[in-house]
Parts: sequence; structure tokens; C-alpha cells
Amino acid sequence: MATRRRVLAGLAASALAPRLGWAEAGNPGYLSAARDGSGAYRLFGLSETGQAVFSVPLPGRGHAAAAHPRRAEAVAFARRPGTFALVLDCAEGRVAAELTAPPGRHFYGHGAFSGDGSRLYTSESDYDAARGIIGVWEAGRGYRRIGEFPSGGIGPHEILRLPGAETLVVANGGIETHPASGRTKLNLPTMRPNLAYLSPEGRELDRIELATVLHMNSIRHLSARADGLVAAALQWQGDLGRAPPLLMLHRRGAAPRLAEAPGPAQVAMQGYAGSIAFSGDGTRVAITSPRGGQAHVFDAETGRFLSAWAAPDICGVAATATGLLATTGTGDVIALDANGARTVHPVAWDNHLVALA
Amino acid sequence: MRPLKRFETTLSRSFAGPRGVRPRSLMGRVSTKTRAALVLVTAVLLPLPAGADVIDRAVDEHVLPRVTAAAEAAAALAETAEADCAPDSEALRAAYHAGFDAWIAASHLQFGPALEDNRGFAMGFWPDPRGAGRRAIAGLISAENPIGLDPAGYAEVSVAARGYHALEAMLFNEEVAGSGTPEYRCALVRTMASDTAATAAAIRDGWLGGHADAMRSAGAAGNAAYPGEAVALRALFGAASTGLQFTSDTRLARPLGTFERAYPLRAEARRSERSLRHVALSADSAGELALILAGPAGAEVEDEIQRHRDRIAALIERLDDPTLAGVATPQGRIRVEAVRAQVDGLRRTLALDVAPVLGVAAGFNALDGD
Repeated sequence: MATRRRVLAGLAASALAPRLGWAEAGNPGYLSAARDGSGAYRLFGLSETGQAVFSVPLPGRGHAAAAHPRRAEAVAFARRPGTFALVLDCAEGRVAAELTAPPGRHFYGHGAFSGDGSRLYTSESDYDAARGIIGVWEAGRGYRRIGEFPSGGIGPHEILRLPGAETLVVANGGIETHPASGRTKLNLPTMRPNLAYLSPEGRELDRIELATVLHMNSIRHLSARADGLVAAALQWQGDLGRAPPLLMLHRRGAAPRLAEAPGPAQVAMQGYAGSIAFSGDGTRVAITSPRGGQAHVFDAETGRFLSAWAAPDICGVAATATGLLATTGTGDVIALDANGARTVHPVAWDNHLVALA
Repeated sequence: MRPLKRFETTLSRSFAGPRGVRPRSLMGRVSTKTRAALVLVTAVLLPLPAGADVIDRAVDEHVLPRVTAAAEAAAALAETAEADCAPDSEALRAAYHAGFDAWIAASHLQFGPALEDNRGFAMGFWPDPRGAGRRAIAGLISAENPIGLDPAGYAEVSVAARGYHALEAMLFNEEVAGSGTPEYRCALVRTMASDTAATAAAIRDGWLGGHADAMRSAGAAGNAAYPGEAVALRALFGAASTGLQFTSDTRLARPLGTFERAYPLRAEARRSERSLRHVALSADSAGELALILAGPAGAEVEDEIQRHRDRIAALIERLDDPTLAGVATPQGRIRVEAVRAQVDGLRRTLALDVAPVLGVAAGFNALDGD
């Protein structure tokens, strides 16, 4: 873990220092933002077994991070409606660049790199027009805004690049907010979330919507499998008594499929899935509900419910080599497998655990 | 309904507390500053051995007795069903009630052995917003599916057709009672009872056969499931807190619906007139665990928890609305809301006064919501 001394030394090092790879940052397998025991916010690098291998201070509460495919560089986003994101040099423990949203835009907390790492795409709101935007940044020395295009809906949240392709997939949550009214949801009766597939130039390739009766099921977080199967985690804005499905599976060219757990298990999720990930071997997909203190694991092919895991405030989830790893706001890192091994950290892990490719 | 012994004793104490008013939110009444101060003060008060002591007490005085009672009552039900499977048999119905009582009192322990193989859901499949149980049972009966005659293989059927709620349909739902042949339905009751007993036994055996020891030795080298006492304390705290939340947000709030529209038919196990009883039993049992967990927080907090438990029991005793049908009337609604306010009050005491002392405060992500 980066000590204070090391962070300071890193900060003192000149910007001319060579860019280092992930090996120099202790070969983390994952990134996660957290609040530490002193109440300060940091971005952590975690090993495959859940040990902390570095940490870098953050100026405020983070949300998700996007990892550069090659350089030991992570973009940490403020929680929405933040207007800043930090590019962190995880090997040196210093801020390498700062991204500021253009006037009239704010970040939603997620971003994705192009395959070669030369571009960063960020989900943003053009809030006066109530329109979702994907910001495009040149990710070289220093980050430069070079363009933007419509996200295909309102409230774009997580954005991913499909594995082995440059196609982007965006969860347009459908919920309109405005910084003037914080996180207040302004359009629930008319919301219409979608899953949009976009070319790297911003051409809309596909737009998937749920049935009208499920129009209040906000599509928020995504995971993609190597073969292009996309899984989305949903957040229900309607009557909790209906306990609708919170997992959507989609492959381009086919209709989306919804999956749910049996009655009481589904109700226990409280209509809220906060994170999603395919297992490393691609056979399973997990969604987490910090509100319900539950993770649900499904068969990725059939959508059949497999198992429930109980852990208060569980939210982050990511693939391991073959399985799944989850994090909680109480500091646990939990293997979602038969052995259920946990490591405990004196921190509160934030919403997302990001696996490095 | 038979009175609950535990409530007879609490009734004799005077009910002097103020009428509960539901707060806007769980954390609504205490400022962030006050809470931070609580954490600081109480964190100093907790000597390390207290955690281990609380875990031991929770396992030995609460978990093991509850899961053992649930297994024994389910075994007795299976035995009774063998002797008499007629849906209106008094002996069978009494055994069903006793078994369901014992399960509800253990049903908040939704971690470890109850989560493995989805056993908890196989004991009590509710709520069932899509009516999966009704459909699954109707399917078995109309096809006279042979799996309904096979207790050992029955675990393969839809989880919605297993456990006490499925048995309730067999014994108390007139639509089911009028379908298929009496012979098949009789065999199905026996199979369900036997399967339920096997599930309850598996939960108990999971605890006795390792999980109890794993919890007691939390923090010992090589303990993968409980690498620290905090992990075990969080699991126990989560069971008490989530159990109370389930009673408030699901058992009570589902039938309450909104002021404009109540949903009395959404009440749990209303056909066997157990809806209110489940509120009583679950709040009482989760409350018992809460009281054990409150030990390190001191006598004042323990008293506060006991006061909530007494008020819940007293309000329920006066309610006289076994199926919660009263939610459809303004007067009945107010009374059910009052029970809910006390359940929420107990949970709030747990969150504000017990969680910081045990070092299990949660909500970093749950309250963030993004």
C-alpha cells in the first residue's frame, strides 16, 4: 500500500517521469474507491485475493473507476452529480491529470477506455436539455476533451466497451435529474430507460427498451462477456410490492431476457441492484443489493437463479479468474463460491469493484 | 388463536410508553453530529472480549435453540401427517401451527445453513407476488405428478411448492382442497411435511455440524468464513435488523399499501389466520437476538430494546386482527401502523445505539443509492 511518504514522494516527482505499467503498481486485479478508518476517501488497488496493494487519496467520495488498459492509470469519478474526475497514476500514487466536465455537463460516475487506451468515454448529463451525453477525451499526456455525442437516452450511467471490439454499450437509466435539485428524480411517470449500443463515433447501432409495464425499471449498471452477451442491473422506481426482475441479459440481434429469483428472494432485493458482473468463466452472473444485504447469482445462459448470499451493505462485484468477488460497505471482500472466504479491511468499500482487464 | 406464552408475561407489565409515531426515516431523529459523538463515546467503552461473549451468547442462547426447535416441530408435523393427512384434521392443523410458529421464530437467521441450497426459501416461500406457489401446486395435483409421492426427491420441485406456505395451501385453500383426488392430496401433504422436516433438519445440522463452531471461533487463524469477530457480529446483527425490517416493510407494509389503497389480501398466511401471529413471533424472536447483541451497549440500551419489545407485544395483544384485514378500515389501519412504528423503533435503536458499539454500522452503499 502506498504510504504517506510514498505518496508525497510521488507528488514531488516531476511530470516528466516515465509512465509506468500496472506491474509497478503492485499488479492489482481490481480497483475500488473506499472511505478509510479516518474518514478520508481513497482509491485502492486490490490483489486477486483481495489484499490491498496500493491506495491513492481522493478529494471526496468516489463512485466507480475506469482502468487504463495498459498504463497504471485509473480515472476516478466523483459521485454524481460531480463535475470532476481524477486521472491517478497508481504506481506513483499521484494525480496525473484532472478532468473537468464542460459547462452545462456533469459526470454520472462511470467511464470506459478504447481498446488501445487512446480515448476515454465518459457518461454525462447535458442537464438543461435533459439529454444524455458521452464525452470523448484524448487520453494521452494530460487529458483533453475532443468531442461528445448523444448517449441515446436520458441519464446514462455505466458505459462499457464490448470485449474485443470498439462498440460501446450504455445503460441509459432514463431518470432525469438536475444539479439544481440534487438527486431528485424529475420524470418518474414518463421515464423510459434503454440499453444503447454506439459506435466509437457515436452512431446509434441498437437501442433496447423493456416492455412498457417495466418502464420504471432503471437500467443502470453493466457487465459484458467475451462473446458479447451483456448483462444489466436494474433499479425499480415503482411499487416495491411488485418486486420486478432486476437482471436483464441481452445479445445484439436477440430480444432481451429478464431473470429473477423466486418470490421471497426477489422481494429481499428491495427492487434495487447496485452492481453486476459475469463470473470469470462466464457461466454465472451476479447482481448485488446493498439495500437488501444480498447478492444473487444466476446461470448466465438460462437466467436460472442459483444462489443468494447475505452480507450487509454488499455492493461491489467483479469477476475472478473463474468466479466472483464482492465487496461491502463494512469492509469485507467476499468470494462468492462454495468456500465463501472473506478478507476484512478497515475501510468502507464504495459501490463498485472494477476488474482490470 | 392460542395466546403466546411470552406475551402473557409481557402483558402483565404496565404499558406506559407513548403511542408510536413513525419517523420519516430510520436515521431521521438524530443529527449526524450526535451520531458521530455516539460512535466516539461508545467505541471506547467496548473491551475486546465483549464481542466474543456476544457471539457465544447469540449462538448458544438464541440461534441453536431456535433452529433446533424449528427442526423438532417440523419432524413432529411430518409424523402427524403420516398418521392423519386430512386437511381438516385437528391434530394435523395443530402440528402445522406449531411447526410454522417454530420456523417463523428462526426465519430471520437467513445466513449460513439457511442460505445454503436456498433452504430458507424452501421452508417459507413468501411473499410470492407472481402466485408461483399456487401454480406449482395446481400443476402437481392436476398431473398427479409422481414426484409428489416421493419425499426424498421432492426437493427437486419448484421451491414455491415447498415448505409451510405450500402446506397452508393444502390445508386451508378451498380451491386446492377441491382439486384432484383426496388420495393424491393426502400423499402430497405427507411429502411436503416430510420434505419440510428434512430441510429444517439440514439447517439445524448445518449449525451443529460446523457453522456454530465457525462463528464461535471467529477471528481464529484459518477461519475463512469468519476471519474476524466483526464478520460474525455483522451476520448476527444483520439477521436481527433485516428480520425486523422484513416484518415492517413486508409483513406489515405489504397489506398496509398506501392510505388510498390497502391490500388486505397481501397479508402473510392469512388463510390460516397467522398474519398477525407472524408479526408477533418474528418481532419477538429478532427482538431476543437484538437484546443479546445490545449487551455491550449497556443497561440503558437493553432497557430501551426491552421497552420496544413490550410495546410491540402489548399493541399486538390488543389488536385482535389475526389476518390484518383491518388495514382496510381507518381505525384498523392506525392500529397496524402503531405496531409498525414500534418495530421500526426497535430497529432504529439497534442501528443508532447498538451497531456503533459492536462496530457493525452499515449503510455506506445502501443509503447512497446510485
